[in-house]
Amino acid sequence: MDPWSNRGSVEPSDDELVRRLAAGDREALAPLMERHYRRLYRVVLAYVRNVDDAQDVLQETFVKAYRHAARWDGSAEVGRWLTRIAVNQSIDRYRREKRRVATTEPLAEGDHDDRVADTDPSPERRVASAQAGARIAAALGALPERQRAVFVLRHYEEMSLKEIGRTLGLRLGTVKSSLHRAIQGLRQRLDGLRA
Amino acid sequence: MSLFHERWRTRVSLLAAGALDAPHREPTLAHLDTCEACRREHAETVALLEVLAKDPARHAEPDVPLAFLVGRVQAQLDTALASRGWRFGWVAAGLAVGLGVALVVPRLATRVVTPLRTVTVDEDALRRLERNVAREQAVRYLNEAQDVLVTMAAAPRDCDREKDRVDVADEQQRSRELLTRRTLLVELDDEDVASARGVLEDVEHVLREVASLQSCVRAGDVARVQREMEERRLLMKIRLMSRELQG
Repeated sequence: MDPWSNRGSVEPSDDELVRRLAAGDREALAPLMERHYRRLYRVVLAYVRNVDDAQDVLQETFVKAYRHAARWDGSAEVGRWLTRIAVNQSIDRYRREKRRVATTEPLAEGDHDDRVADTDPSPERRVASAQAGARIAAALGALPERQRAVFVLRHYEEMSLKEIGRTLGLRLGTVKSSLHRAIQGLRQRLDGLRA
Repeated sequence: MSLFHERWRTRVSLLAAGALDAPHREPTLAHLDTCEACRREHAETVALLEVLAKDPARHAEPDVPLAFLVGRVQAQLDTALASRGWRFGWVAAGLAVGLGVALVVPRLATRVVTPLRTVTVDEDALRRLERNVAREQAVRYLNEAQDVLVTMAAAPRDCDREKDRVDVADEQQRSRELLTRRTLLVELDDEDVASARGVLEDVEHVLREVASLQSCVRAGDVARVQREMEERRLLMKIRLMSRELQG
Protein backbone atom coordinates (compact mmCIF):
# COMPACT_ATOMS: atom_id res chain seq x y z
CA MET A 1 0.00 0.00 0.00
CA ASP A 2 1.23 3.45 -0.78
CA PRO A 3 2.38 4.91 2.55
CA TRP A 4 1.13 8.33 1.50
CA SER A 5 -2.38 7.29 0.86
CA ASN A 6 -5.15 6.23 3.16
CA ARG A 7 -7.39 5.13 0.32
CA GLY A 8 -9.51 2.27 1.58
CA SER A 9 -9.56 3.52 5.16
CA VAL A 10 -12.78 4.43 6.96
CA GLU A 11 -11.38 7.89 7.62
CA PRO A 12 -11.99 10.49 4.91
CA SER A 13 -9.36 9.90 2.27
CA ASP A 14 -6.77 12.52 1.42
CA ASP A 15 -8.50 12.91 -1.92
CA GLU A 16 -11.79 13.62 -0.21
CA LEU A 17 -10.20 16.13 2.15
CA VAL A 18 -8.64 18.03 -0.74
CA ARG A 19 -11.97 18.07 -2.55
CA ARG A 20 -13.51 19.53 0.60
CA LEU A 21 -10.79 22.20 0.70
CA ALA A 22 -11.53 23.01 -2.90
CA ALA A 23 -15.14 23.56 -1.88
CA GLY A 24 -14.01 26.00 0.80
CA ASP A 25 -14.37 23.65 3.78
CA ARG A 26 -11.55 24.76 6.09
CA GLU A 27 -12.30 22.04 8.62
CA ALA A 28 -10.71 19.62 6.21
CA LEU A 29 -7.36 21.34 6.81
CA ALA A 30 -6.74 19.97 10.29
CA PRO A 31 -7.05 16.25 9.49
CA LEU A 32 -5.01 16.70 6.34
CA MET A 33 -2.32 18.56 8.27
CA GLU A 34 -2.36 15.97 11.03
CA ARG A 35 -1.53 13.27 8.49
CA HIS A 36 1.22 15.07 6.66
CA TYR A 37 2.76 17.83 8.73
CA ARG A 38 5.49 15.81 10.47
CA ARG A 39 6.73 14.28 7.23
CA LEU A 40 6.61 17.60 5.41
CA TYR A 41 8.35 19.32 8.31
CA ARG A 42 11.35 17.03 7.96
CA VAL A 43 11.55 17.63 4.22
CA VAL A 44 11.31 21.39 4.69
CA LEU A 45 13.77 21.45 7.59
CA ALA A 46 16.27 19.42 5.59
CA TYR A 47 16.00 22.06 2.89
CA VAL A 48 15.91 25.36 4.79
CA ARG A 49 17.89 24.18 7.85
CA ASN A 50 16.25 26.58 10.25
CA VAL A 51 13.48 25.64 12.67
CA ASP A 52 11.61 28.96 12.50
CA ASP A 53 11.80 29.08 8.71
CA ALA A 54 10.68 25.46 8.52
CA GLN A 55 7.59 26.21 10.57
CA ASP A 56 6.79 29.24 8.44
CA VAL A 57 7.25 27.24 5.26
CA LEU A 58 5.05 24.49 6.62
CA GLN A 59 2.36 27.07 7.34
CA GLU A 60 2.70 28.55 3.86
CA THR A 61 2.53 25.08 2.35
CA PHE A 62 -0.89 24.39 3.83
CA VAL A 63 -2.15 27.89 3.06
CA LYS A 64 -1.14 27.32 -0.54
CA ALA A 65 -2.67 23.85 -0.54
CA TYR A 66 -5.98 25.36 0.56
CA ARG A 67 -5.84 28.12 -2.04
CA HIS A 68 -4.85 25.78 -4.85
CA ALA A 69 -6.96 22.80 -3.85
CA ALA A 70 -9.31 23.44 -6.75
CA ARG A 71 -6.39 22.96 -9.15
CA TRP A 72 -5.57 19.50 -7.81
CA ASP A 73 -6.84 17.17 -10.50
CA GLY A 74 -6.59 13.87 -8.62
CA SER A 75 -3.91 12.44 -10.88
CA ALA A 76 -1.19 12.74 -8.24
CA GLU A 77 -1.24 11.37 -4.72
CA VAL A 78 -2.12 14.12 -2.29
CA GLY A 79 1.05 13.43 -0.29
CA ARG A 80 3.17 13.91 -3.38
CA TRP A 81 1.26 17.04 -4.34
CA LEU A 82 1.82 18.49 -0.86
CA THR A 83 5.50 17.56 -1.00
CA ARG A 84 5.86 19.39 -4.26
CA ILE A 85 4.27 22.49 -2.76
CA ALA A 86 6.51 22.21 0.30
CA VAL A 87 9.66 21.89 -1.80
CA ASN A 88 8.68 24.88 -3.95
CA GLN A 89 7.91 26.92 -0.86
CA SER A 90 11.25 25.89 0.64
CA ILE A 91 13.06 27.01 -2.49
CA ASP A 92 11.22 30.35 -2.42
CA ARG A 93 12.04 30.85 1.25
CA TYR A 94 15.67 29.93 0.70
CA ARG A 95 15.98 32.39 -2.19
CA ARG A 96 14.36 35.15 -0.15
CA GLU A 97 16.65 34.45 2.77
CA LYS A 98 19.69 34.58 0.52
CA ARG A 99 18.57 37.93 -0.88
CA ARG A 100 17.86 39.19 2.62
CA VAL A 101 21.37 38.52 3.85
CA ALA A 102 22.61 40.09 0.61
CA THR A 103 25.14 37.46 -0.19
CA THR A 104 25.76 35.21 -3.13
CA GLU A 105 27.13 32.55 -0.84
CA PRO A 106 24.94 29.82 0.61
CA LEU A 107 24.02 30.05 4.26
CA ALA A 108 27.18 30.19 6.28
CA GLU A 109 27.90 27.51 8.81
CA GLY A 110 27.14 29.97 11.58
CA ASP A 111 23.61 30.34 10.23
CA HIS A 112 22.84 26.75 11.07
CA ASP A 113 20.06 26.49 13.60
CA ASP A 114 21.44 24.74 16.67
CA ARG A 115 17.99 23.41 17.41
CA VAL A 116 18.51 21.10 14.41
CA ALA A 117 20.71 19.00 16.62
CA ASP A 118 20.74 15.68 18.31
CA THR A 119 18.69 15.49 21.49
CA ASP A 120 21.30 13.26 23.07
CA PRO A 121 21.94 14.56 26.59
CA SER A 122 25.71 14.29 26.38
CA PRO A 123 27.16 17.80 25.87
CA GLU A 124 30.04 16.46 23.75
CA ARG A 125 27.65 14.59 21.51
CA ARG A 126 25.41 17.63 21.20
CA VAL A 127 28.31 19.89 20.26
CA ALA A 128 29.57 17.34 17.76
CA SER A 129 26.07 16.91 16.38
CA ALA A 130 25.55 20.67 16.06
CA GLN A 131 28.90 21.05 14.30
CA ALA A 132 28.13 18.20 11.94
CA GLY A 133 24.68 19.68 11.34
CA ALA A 134 26.24 23.03 10.49
CA ARG A 135 28.61 21.43 7.99
CA ILE A 136 25.81 19.44 6.43
CA ALA A 137 23.67 22.60 6.21
CA ALA A 138 26.48 24.50 4.50
CA ALA A 139 27.18 21.63 2.11
CA LEU A 140 23.51 21.21 1.20
CA GLY A 141 23.14 24.96 0.86
CA ALA A 142 25.95 25.07 -1.67
CA LEU A 143 24.19 22.63 -4.00
CA PRO A 144 22.14 23.98 -6.92
CA GLU A 145 18.42 23.97 -6.13
CA ARG A 146 17.44 21.00 -8.25
CA GLN A 147 20.24 18.82 -6.94
CA ARG A 148 19.39 19.76 -3.39
CA ALA A 149 15.70 19.05 -3.86
CA VAL A 150 16.42 15.66 -5.42
CA PHE A 151 18.89 14.76 -2.70
CA VAL A 152 16.57 15.86 0.11
CA LEU A 153 13.67 13.82 -1.25
CA ARG A 154 15.87 10.76 -1.73
CA HIS A 155 17.85 10.91 1.49
CA TYR A 156 15.39 12.46 3.94
CA GLU A 157 12.12 11.27 2.45
CA GLU A 158 13.48 8.00 1.02
CA MET A 159 11.50 8.42 -2.17
CA SER A 160 12.25 6.26 -5.16
CA LEU A 161 13.76 8.03 -8.13
CA LYS A 162 10.51 7.62 -10.06
CA GLU A 163 8.56 9.22 -7.22
CA ILE A 164 11.03 12.09 -7.10
CA GLY A 165 10.61 12.57 -10.82
CA ARG A 166 6.83 12.66 -10.50
CA THR A 167 6.98 14.96 -7.47
CA LEU A 168 9.33 17.50 -9.01
CA GLY A 169 8.19 17.09 -12.60
CA LEU A 170 11.60 15.85 -13.77
CA ARG A 171 12.56 13.10 -16.17
CA LEU A 172 14.08 9.98 -14.61
CA GLY A 173 17.42 10.59 -16.31
CA THR A 174 17.52 14.11 -14.88
CA VAL A 175 16.77 12.78 -11.40
CA LYS A 176 19.61 10.25 -11.67
CA SER A 177 22.16 12.75 -12.87
CA SER A 178 21.03 15.33 -10.27
CA LEU A 179 21.37 12.81 -7.46
CA HIS A 180 24.80 11.76 -8.67
CA ARG A 181 25.99 15.37 -8.89
CA ALA A 182 24.52 16.17 -5.49
CA ILE A 183 26.42 13.25 -3.98
CA GLN A 184 29.63 14.35 -5.68
CA GLY A 185 29.15 17.90 -4.41
CA LEU A 186 28.50 16.71 -0.87
CA ARG A 187 31.53 14.41 -0.97
CA GLN A 188 33.75 17.35 -1.86
CA ARG A 189 32.31 19.60 0.82
CA LEU A 190 32.00 17.07 3.58
CA ASP A 191 35.38 15.48 3.12
CA GLY A 192 36.69 14.41 6.50
CA LEU A 193 33.33 14.30 8.25
CA ARG A 194 33.06 10.89 9.89
CA ALA A 195 30.14 8.93 11.25
CA MET B 1 37.91 10.54 -17.64
CA SER B 2 35.81 9.30 -20.53
CA LEU B 3 32.11 9.88 -20.96
CA PHE B 4 31.73 6.10 -20.76
CA HIS B 5 33.38 6.03 -17.37
CA GLU B 6 31.29 8.99 -16.16
CA ARG B 7 28.26 6.79 -16.71
CA TRP B 8 29.81 4.18 -14.40
CA ARG B 9 30.41 6.88 -11.79
CA THR B 10 26.74 7.82 -11.90
CA ARG B 11 25.78 4.20 -11.40
CA VAL B 12 28.27 3.85 -8.55
CA SER B 13 26.72 6.87 -6.82
CA LEU B 14 23.22 5.47 -7.29
CA LEU B 15 24.35 2.05 -6.06
CA ALA B 16 25.77 3.59 -2.88
CA ALA B 17 22.56 5.55 -2.40
CA GLY B 18 20.48 2.39 -2.82
CA ALA B 19 18.81 3.88 -5.85
CA LEU B 20 20.25 1.86 -8.71
CA ASP B 21 17.64 -0.06 -10.65
CA ALA B 22 17.91 -3.86 -10.71
CA PRO B 23 19.11 -4.38 -14.31
CA HIS B 24 22.19 -2.21 -13.65
CA ARG B 25 23.16 -3.61 -10.27
CA GLU B 26 25.06 -6.72 -11.33
CA PRO B 27 27.03 -5.02 -14.11
CA THR B 28 27.95 -2.20 -11.74
CA LEU B 29 29.11 -4.59 -9.02
CA ALA B 30 31.17 -6.42 -11.63
CA HIS B 31 32.68 -3.12 -12.72
CA LEU B 32 33.66 -2.33 -9.14
CA ASP B 33 35.72 -5.54 -9.10
CA THR B 34 37.79 -4.25 -11.96
CA CYS B 35 38.02 -0.54 -11.15
CA GLU B 36 39.92 0.50 -8.06
CA ALA B 37 39.01 4.19 -8.38
CA CYS B 38 35.33 3.24 -8.59
CA ARG B 39 35.64 0.99 -5.53
CA ARG B 40 37.18 3.83 -3.57
CA GLU B 41 34.49 6.23 -4.73
CA HIS B 42 31.79 3.75 -3.78
CA ALA B 43 33.28 3.26 -0.30
CA GLU B 44 33.59 7.02 0.24
CA THR B 45 30.02 7.61 -0.88
CA VAL B 46 28.68 4.91 1.40
CA ALA B 47 30.63 6.47 4.30
CA LEU B 48 29.28 9.92 3.44
CA LEU B 49 25.69 8.72 3.34
CA GLU B 50 26.19 7.01 6.71
CA VAL B 51 27.24 10.38 8.12
CA LEU B 52 24.27 12.10 6.53
CA ALA B 53 21.95 9.43 7.88
CA LYS B 54 22.75 10.79 11.34
CA ASP B 55 21.68 14.30 10.44
CA PRO B 56 19.20 15.25 13.21
CA ALA B 57 16.95 16.89 10.62
CA ARG B 58 15.98 13.41 9.40
CA HIS B 59 14.17 12.69 12.64
CA ALA B 60 13.19 16.20 13.72
CA GLU B 61 9.73 16.91 15.06
CA PRO B 62 7.95 20.26 14.78
CA ASP B 63 8.30 22.13 18.06
CA VAL B 64 4.80 23.58 17.90
CA PRO B 65 1.70 21.46 18.47
CA LEU B 66 -0.55 20.74 15.53
CA ALA B 67 -3.36 22.86 16.97
CA PHE B 68 -1.16 25.96 16.89
CA LEU B 69 -0.09 25.31 13.36
CA VAL B 70 -3.71 24.86 12.31
CA GLY B 71 -4.51 28.15 14.06
CA ARG B 72 -1.72 29.93 12.23
CA VAL B 73 -2.86 28.64 8.86
CA GLN B 74 -6.45 29.65 9.58
CA ALA B 75 -5.32 33.10 10.75
CA GLN B 76 -3.27 33.61 7.59
CA LEU B 77 -6.25 32.64 5.45
CA ASP B 78 -8.39 35.10 7.42
CA THR B 79 -5.88 37.87 6.84
CA ALA B 80 -5.82 37.17 3.12
CA LEU B 81 -9.60 37.23 3.00
CA ALA B 82 -9.72 40.49 4.91
CA SER B 83 -7.28 42.12 2.54
CA ARG B 84 -9.49 41.11 -0.36
CA GLY B 85 -12.37 43.00 1.12
CA TRP B 86 -13.85 40.42 3.40
CA ARG B 87 -15.90 42.51 5.79
CA PHE B 88 -17.44 40.22 8.29
CA GLY B 89 -15.27 41.77 10.93
CA TRP B 90 -12.51 40.75 13.21
CA VAL B 91 -14.68 39.47 16.00
CA ALA B 92 -16.55 37.09 13.71
CA ALA B 93 -13.29 35.90 12.15
CA GLY B 94 -11.68 35.39 15.54
CA LEU B 95 -14.70 33.47 16.74
CA ALA B 96 -14.68 31.37 13.59
CA VAL B 97 -11.01 30.50 14.01
CA GLY B 98 -11.44 29.79 17.69
CA LEU B 99 -14.55 27.75 17.07
CA GLY B 100 -12.90 25.92 14.20
CA VAL B 101 -9.90 24.96 16.29
CA ALA B 102 -12.11 24.08 19.26
CA LEU B 103 -14.26 21.84 17.09
CA VAL B 104 -11.46 20.28 15.15
CA VAL B 105 -8.94 19.51 17.86
CA PRO B 106 -11.23 17.32 20.01
CA ARG B 107 -12.33 15.50 16.86
CA LEU B 108 -8.75 14.88 15.93
CA ALA B 109 -8.08 13.41 19.31
CA THR B 110 -10.70 10.76 18.66
CA ARG B 111 -9.96 10.28 14.99
CA VAL B 112 -6.28 9.53 14.90
CA VAL B 113 -5.37 5.87 14.84
CA THR B 114 -2.08 6.43 16.61
CA PRO B 115 -2.21 8.94 19.43
CA LEU B 116 -0.62 12.30 18.79
CA ARG B 117 2.78 12.50 20.36
CA THR B 118 2.79 14.63 23.46
CA VAL B 119 4.48 17.90 22.61
CA THR B 120 5.68 20.24 25.25
CA VAL B 121 4.51 23.73 24.46
CA ASP B 122 7.61 25.68 23.71
CA GLU B 123 7.48 29.18 25.15
CA ASP B 124 9.45 30.57 22.25
CA ALA B 125 6.97 29.03 19.85
CA LEU B 126 4.07 30.55 21.75
CA ARG B 127 5.82 33.89 21.72
CA ARG B 128 6.29 33.64 17.96
CA LEU B 129 2.64 32.74 17.57
CA GLU B 130 1.58 35.78 19.59
CA ARG B 131 3.88 38.00 17.56
CA ASN B 132 2.47 36.65 14.30
CA VAL B 133 -1.10 37.15 15.44
CA ALA B 134 -0.34 40.72 16.59
CA ARG B 135 1.25 41.49 13.26
CA GLU B 136 -1.51 39.91 11.24
CA GLN B 137 -4.11 41.93 13.09
CA ALA B 138 -2.13 45.12 12.53
CA VAL B 139 -1.96 44.29 8.82
CA ARG B 140 -5.70 43.68 8.75
CA TYR B 141 -6.33 47.03 10.42
CA LEU B 142 -4.00 48.83 8.02
CA ASN B 143 -5.62 47.16 5.02
CA GLU B 144 -9.08 48.21 6.08
CA ALA B 145 -7.90 51.74 6.82
CA GLN B 146 -6.24 51.85 3.44
CA ASP B 147 -9.54 50.99 1.75
CA VAL B 148 -11.21 53.94 3.47
CA LEU B 149 -8.38 56.36 2.76
CA VAL B 150 -8.04 55.36 -0.87
CA THR B 151 -11.64 56.35 -1.52
CA MET B 152 -11.01 59.63 0.30
CA ALA B 153 -7.94 60.26 -1.85
CA ALA B 154 -9.82 59.50 -5.05
CA ALA B 155 -12.37 62.32 -5.25
CA PRO B 156 -15.51 61.10 -3.44
CA ARG B 157 -18.97 61.40 -5.02
CA ASP B 158 -20.88 64.66 -5.23
CA CYS B 159 -23.76 65.11 -2.82
CA ASP B 160 -27.13 64.77 -4.46
CA ARG B 161 -28.76 67.41 -2.37
CA GLU B 162 -26.25 70.29 -2.38
CA LYS B 163 -23.94 71.84 -4.93
CA ASP B 164 -20.16 72.01 -4.32
CA ARG B 165 -20.43 69.41 -1.65
CA VAL B 166 -19.24 65.81 -1.60
CA ASP B 167 -20.70 62.70 -0.07
CA VAL B 168 -18.37 61.05 2.47
CA ALA B 169 -21.06 59.30 4.50
CA ASP B 170 -19.67 55.87 3.74
CA GLU B 171 -16.06 56.82 4.57
CA GLN B 172 -17.16 58.63 7.72
CA GLN B 173 -19.11 55.59 8.91
CA ARG B 174 -16.30 53.14 8.12
CA SER B 175 -13.75 55.37 9.88
CA ARG B 176 -15.87 55.45 13.00
CA GLU B 177 -16.26 51.68 12.96
CA LEU B 178 -12.54 51.19 12.45
CA LEU B 179 -11.64 53.56 15.26
CA THR B 180 -14.00 51.70 17.56
CA ARG B 181 -12.48 48.37 16.60
CA ARG B 182 -8.89 49.57 16.62
CA THR B 183 -8.29 48.73 20.26
CA LEU B 184 -9.54 45.21 19.59
CA LEU B 185 -7.22 44.80 16.63
CA VAL B 186 -4.04 46.59 17.62
CA GLU B 187 -2.37 47.61 20.85
CA LEU B 188 -0.23 50.61 20.04
CA ASP B 189 2.07 49.77 22.96
CA ASP B 190 2.56 46.21 21.78
CA GLU B 191 6.27 45.71 21.14
CA ASP B 192 5.47 43.22 18.37
CA VAL B 193 4.16 46.06 16.24
CA ALA B 194 6.51 48.71 17.62
CA SER B 195 7.94 49.43 14.18
CA ALA B 196 4.43 50.25 12.95
CA ARG B 197 3.54 52.62 15.78
CA GLY B 198 4.23 55.82 13.82
CA VAL B 199 2.16 54.70 10.86
CA LEU B 200 -0.64 53.45 13.10
CA GLU B 201 -0.77 56.81 14.87
CA ASP B 202 -0.86 58.67 11.56
CA VAL B 203 -3.63 56.42 10.33
CA GLU B 204 -5.61 56.99 13.48
CA HIS B 205 -5.17 60.75 13.23
CA VAL B 206 -6.51 60.88 9.68
CA LEU B 207 -9.31 58.44 10.39
CA ARG B 208 -10.43 60.74 13.22
CA GLU B 209 -10.48 63.62 10.75
CA VAL B 210 -12.66 61.63 8.38
CA ALA B 211 -14.89 60.40 11.18
CA SER B 212 -15.47 63.96 12.36
CA LEU B 213 -16.72 65.12 8.95
CA GLN B 214 -20.38 65.58 8.18
CA SER B 215 -21.75 63.08 5.71
CA CYS B 216 -22.13 65.81 3.10
CA VAL B 217 -19.19 68.21 3.29
CA ARG B 218 -17.63 71.05 1.35
CA ALA B 219 -15.08 69.96 -1.23
CA GLY B 220 -12.51 72.07 0.64
CA ASP B 221 -12.86 69.88 3.73
CA VAL B 222 -12.12 66.76 1.72
CA ALA B 223 -9.19 68.52 0.05
CA ARG B 224 -7.81 69.31 3.50
CA VAL B 225 -7.87 65.63 4.48
CA GLN B 226 -6.33 64.70 1.15
CA ARG B 227 -3.50 67.21 1.72
CA GLU B 228 -2.94 65.80 5.17
CA MET B 229 -2.65 62.29 3.73
CA GLU B 230 -0.25 63.49 1.06
CA GLU B 231 1.94 65.34 3.52
CA ARG B 232 2.18 62.27 5.68
CA ARG B 233 2.63 60.03 2.59
CA LEU B 234 0.15 57.87 4.35
CA LEU B 235 -0.92 55.43 1.63
CA MET B 236 2.67 54.65 0.74
CA LYS B 237 3.58 54.18 4.40
CA ILE B 238 0.63 51.83 4.90
CA ARG B 239 1.68 49.75 1.91
CA LEU B 240 5.30 49.51 3.03
CA MET B 241 4.41 48.81 6.63
CA SER B 242 1.94 46.08 5.68
CA ARG B 243 4.65 44.41 3.65
CA GLU B 244 7.13 44.71 6.48
CA LEU B 245 4.72 43.24 9.00
CA GLN B 246 3.93 40.36 6.67
CA GLY B 247 7.65 39.66 6.40
